[in-house]
Amino acid sequence: MARARVEQPTASGSTLISMVGLGIAFLLLMAFLNVVKTGSLLTDTNLLYAALIFYVGAATLDLGFGITGTESYLTFASYATWAGLAANTGAVAHRWYEAGHPPFASIYEMLLSFVWMLAVLTLVAEKKYGVKVIGTVTMPVAIVGVVLMQLLRTDVRPLVPALQSTWLHVHVTLAMLAYAACALSFALAMMFLIQDRLPTETFLAATSLATIGIYAGILTRFEKWGGLNVAAWNAEEKSEVFISRGVRLFVTIPDLGWLMLLVAFAVAAPFALYLLARAKKDERFLVLANRAVFLSILLQVLALLTFLLRTRNGQYASLDAEGLYATSLAASPFILSGLVGGIFTSLMYLLLLWRRADLERALPSAENLDRITYKTICIAFPLLTLMIAAGAYWANRTWGAYWSWDPKETWAAITWLVYAGYLHMRVTRGWRGRRAAYFAILGFMVVMFTFFGVTYLLPGLHAYA
Amino acid sequence: MAAGFGSIRHKAWQTLSSIKTGVVLLILVVIVSALGTIVLQRPVTEADELQRAYSPQMLRIFDALGLTDVFHSWWFVALLVLVSLSIVAASVDRFPNAWRFFARPYKYPDESFRKTLRSQVQVAVPDQETGLRAFERALERIGFSSQRVERDGRSSIFSERHRISVMAVYIVHASLLLIFLGGIIDAMWGWRGFMSLNQGQQSNQIEMHDGAHRALPFAIRCDSAGQERYADGTPKKWWSKLAVVRDGQDVERKEIVVNDPLVYKGVRFYQASYGTTDKVDQLLLTAMPADGQGQARELTLEPNQAETLDADTTVQLAEFIPDYVVRDGQVYTRSKDVQNPAVRLVVASKKSGKQLNYWIPAIEGIADNAASPYRFDPKDLKMGYFTGLEVSHEPGQWGVWAGAVLMGIGLTLVFYISHVRIWAVPVQDAAGRPALWVGGIANRNRDAFEAHFEELRGKLSEELKEQRKLRFEAKDREPEELLAIAAK
Repeated sequence: MARARVEQPTASGSTLISMVGLGIAFLLLMAFLNVVKTGSLLTDTNLLYAALIFYVGAATLDLGFGITGTESYLTFASYATWAGLAANTGAVAHRWYEAGHPPFASIYEMLLSFVWMLAVLTLVAEKKYGVKVIGTVTMPVAIVGVVLMQLLRTDVRPLVPALQSTWLHVHVTLAMLAYAACALSFALAMMFLIQDRLPTETFLAATSLATIGIYAGILTRFEKWGGLNVAAWNAEEKSEVFISRGVRLFVTIPDLGWLMLLVAFAVAAPFALYLLARAKKDERFLVLANRAVFLSILLQVLALLTFLLRTRNGQYASLDAEGLYATSLAASPFILSGLVGGIFTSLMYLLLLWRRADLERALPSAENLDRITYKTICIAFPLLTLMIAAGAYWANRTWGAYWSWDPKETWAAITWLVYAGYLHMRVTRGWRGRRAAYFAILGFMVVMFTFFGVTYLLPGLHAYA
Repeated sequence: MAAGFGSIRHKAWQTLSSIKTGVVLLILVVIVSALGTIVLQRPVTEADELQRAYSPQMLRIFDALGLTDVFHSWWFVALLVLVSLSIVAASVDRFPNAWRFFARPYKYPDESFRKTLRSQVQVAVPDQETGLRAFERALERIGFSSQRVERDGRSSIFSERHRISVMAVYIVHASLLLIFLGGIIDAMWGWRGFMSLNQGQQSNQIEMHDGAHRALPFAIRCDSAGQERYADGTPKKWWSKLAVVRDGQDVERKEIVVNDPLVYKGVRFYQASYGTTDKVDQLLLTAMPADGQGQARELTLEPNQAETLDADTTVQLAEFIPDYVVRDGQVYTRSKDVQNPAVRLVVASKKSGKQLNYWIPAIEGIADNAASPYRFDPKDLKMGYFTGLEVSHEPGQWGVWAGAVLMGIGLTLVFYISHVRIWAVPVQDAAGRPALWVGGIANRNRDAFEAHFEELRGKLSEELKEQRKLRFEAKDREPEELLAIAAK
């Protein structure tokens, strides 16, 4: 019986692997035929496209493992990641060569480097620490990154004077490394909680809260009578429309606000049901909550599609200026990544709900994960420190002040303090296991707020990033 | 009474030096600084924006609480000082123990300590001295130095590496204090201001951010300034050639660009802004004799400098109006923006001493253009430049940078270097045969240490095997040597 169970998925395993393999080959061939006509083959855009194909292949295989539990998928997913990384490295190198400076100057270039870093760390986690399923988390993030890049302007733009500094490159490189290490520690802490037998419904509450947070963030752009404010976009200039220096023009997409509000209620429903289940001690509410997650995914997909369609076409009015303006996906990268991230978070929960036993088999032991999480933070913390120091030094050379308490700086300091707190608790108070994992998760949330929230919600000097 | 006071002092010290206090203070710093990023801050926000964002009552409450300028409020500074004191107290409280540990390493492990070690092993040896020697060689082979410890007439081995790692935490704390110290010095004695210089102008006056003025003991002169643009028009580089003037003499010169300031006596001058003034720098024009005979010639006029046209006639750029308007037969300046410029040239004749005003453009009723012996055609107008310099004096910044470097070193020591100690003590096994007990411990990265310890153990058994082989060989050789001696 056990034999049959093992053999049966293996058979379907080779089907998926060969399908993914053929798919990759087909897409690469099509892309090649398309490129041969236009001439230059190895540009960063083309290489990035190749990387995207491989990453999609890897993510498909990772998800395939999630659904069927076939171990050989993971091996091939790893090969696909290697191939994707090779193409991605080429893209980074080409960009660097063409621009003449390390690729950290624009959002496009930073995403390029970030995705590269993510792929490297994924392989490190797989090979060195044996966390084979990490790709299930990181590959979809990489895909979102590459897709976002397709929306942004890719031409090499000259650097404004303040950005022409080696220290800036040092600062941004360190930031990328540190944030990637923090992201990894977060994923590892989550896996620890899975191995530590944290009840699945707790994950339900957490994922639901995360999506509530995302939609709350999006709803800060809610405009009276159900509209949603997005930045206006000038298609010819390929840039946002500015009313005055650093102040973007916002246009209101009618009715989209209502939809977002509806979806916000939908993603809040599982959490409400979870609370109800706890209050009444009734398991039936949890079953309902799981159904609600499924429903919320459908609604989230609807929200994403509506958002895609409405931003691509149409002219919208603004409260701050006369006339109609167009917008674009590129004008709202944060809303887009929020929407995609929300779907992704809910999907991860469903994966856990359906495949917990397989995940537990594929993951290292709780004790190992706890230790690796700590080690990752031991890498992240000095990087954070150096990142802040390099940033301060650059600011001092450019503006004459090493610290001006602007929101990004302050939040970087807060991030640093949170991780310092983690280390003190671990070393002097012997915090291990769950408490440490929660602390690591908190740290990464602060990182996310520093990275996205500050740029999106708070004003400041870091207008470039 | 005195005892009571003493106990209060003791309690206060205990509270201040406890980790709990430190953590509570840090959480407070986190909350307060987060608030400071959410509430709009006065120093970086326009007044009307604040009024738009908050109702007057709200604003009054925020102001009263200091929330509109968190990072400069006395209570925030007090909080940071408390954090520093807590770090100092915690370090002082724990330092003596750590120092004892550092200064007097524990070289001979007693039996109860030996039992607690996770990494330990006991191997059989032919005799105590052979065992110790074999272990010394094994240590050498994995790159550890060792020392013999003689105690009660018995020999044992102690080996360690990176003892400094024990003190690393204090290095990190000290670096943090150094950074704070630098910040406090800058907050007390540092200042920031702005200085705007026209080309060729010299000044020692600095406009402070709070509106006050400050005079420097030396002056700065801007010799020239300019900008370069990329092909698409975005600015590529702003530069200014500056000179430091002291007692009428140039003591230093430098061309500064955005990321590269001029530093003189601890005062830094940064390229902050750049633009054109309402003053003209050069006017390019062609002069053509009015009677149409002779060649047109190109002229470059600078303000108030006479240019000779022929033996009799000179021309001078007398007046420049960036944005002129004519009313009631008078020329007025409407604004300082170069929108509608007018130039008054004075054409003078030496012989007759007659002067006439030549206006470009020819303003009717005012200009004497018709009477001029020359006609002038404007070709190009080069406006004067000003350069905006951010000026700062941060005497404490060296503390900050030294602290940052020290922290980098400290953190490296904390995270990547572990204090490893290994002991070897001759013992006897249960049957009374000689054995060597070997044990070790690392203060962090224990997995790596365990792997190391295993390697050491392998090397030790290799060495012991080698010893045994040598012994057998010696035994074999002995009779032969004896025979050889006997043969002699």
